[in-house]
Amino acid sequence: MPERPPVPQKKLGDRILRAPIRALHLGLGATPRQLTWAAFAVSVPAAALIAGHRLAWGLALMALGQVLDGLDGGVAREFGLSSAEGRDLDTRLDRAAETLVFLAFALAGIVSWMLVLLALAAIYLLTTVSDRSGFDPGCKRVVLYLGLLVPYRWVFIAIFAVNLAGYVAGLLIMDCRFQVRMDALGGDLDTVASRAARLERAETPAGRA
Amino acid sequence: MTIVTHILATTLGVQIGGLHGGDAVLAYAFGVGVDADHALKAPFYLRTGGFKKRIGYYWRSSLQEPVAFLWVVPLAVALRTVVPIVFLAVHIAMDYSVRYEKMPFYPYSTWVTRGWLVSIPDGVKEAVLATVLLCLNVLLFLRRS
Repeated sequence: MPERPPVPQKKLGDRILRAPIRALHLGLGATPRQLTWAAFAVSVPAAALIAGHRLAWGLALMALGQVLDGLDGGVAREFGLSSAEGRDLDTRLDRAAETLVFLAFALAGIVSWMLVLLALAAIYLLTTVSDRSGFDPGCKRVVLYLGLLVPYRWVFIAIFAVNLAGYVAGLLIMDCRFQVRMDALGGDLDTVASRAARLERAETPAGRA
Repeated sequence: MTIVTHILATTLGVQIGGLHGGDAVLAYAFGVGVDADHALKAPFYLRTGGFKKRIGYYWRSSLQEPVAFLWVVPLAVALRTVVPIVFLAVHIAMDYSVRYEKMPFYPYSTWVTRGWLVSIPDGVKEAVLATVLLCLNVLLFLRRS
């Protein structure tokens, strides 16, 4: 019997935003891919506004981009259009949008370049493992709105710290999963890592090639 | 390597570098404290075989593998100190002289290695290194006092 692809779970936000999600797709014909690109496109002027010291306008535009970013997944889930390629594009453009917005903060002199680069490095690191570990604290662009209440220096330190800690946690989650695999294999403990590694290689598409 | 040898190596590094306060804490955290990840593996060990002694159990995690430099380097930059990088490098170098299996770049790569000096028995390496480190620590301590 052929294996059925997993059906993506609808989120609470999807139910709340069901009307605009349906209107976007059925009324305007918008596809998840178009919405993903639209979310990124909105981030470009948002970054420009922040770099030009128009922080409130920049954040407002960034919020619009984030709404669109949430709707692309909603449309995909509602109409069964989810795909690995779509998720990959969404992740890539999210990171690109974050990079632009974060660099804008440094360009505007709101925070140091060092802090911005460290925060971005931590986010990129987390992204390399979050899909496989299933762990992402989600402390990225959304935290920037807190800058209206606390100094941006602290906001960027928090982004760096949380994402770096999330990365370490992600690594440890995967270590534990690999340990389960080794324990299940059993046998000679002196060679269990290489045997489990061979098994893992055989299961990945690159390993099978 | 055993925790005692790591403590000796870190103490020697702290003495040579004249580290105090936060730097000394970081030195012990990355020179010795990374071994705390063994506690993470303890539930797995107990679940599969209880308290029965099993030599060669895979106690390691990516906290003390070269892949850890991916997060330790940004952390060191943020803290504006090379102490975490240096002491983690020493810790890893010592562990890689013991011949059990290690996965330096997991989860990015499933490559497995046994490290270096694999032809020399682990007990000999550990004993020689621990003795040398102990003597150097005592010598340095006596010279300073």
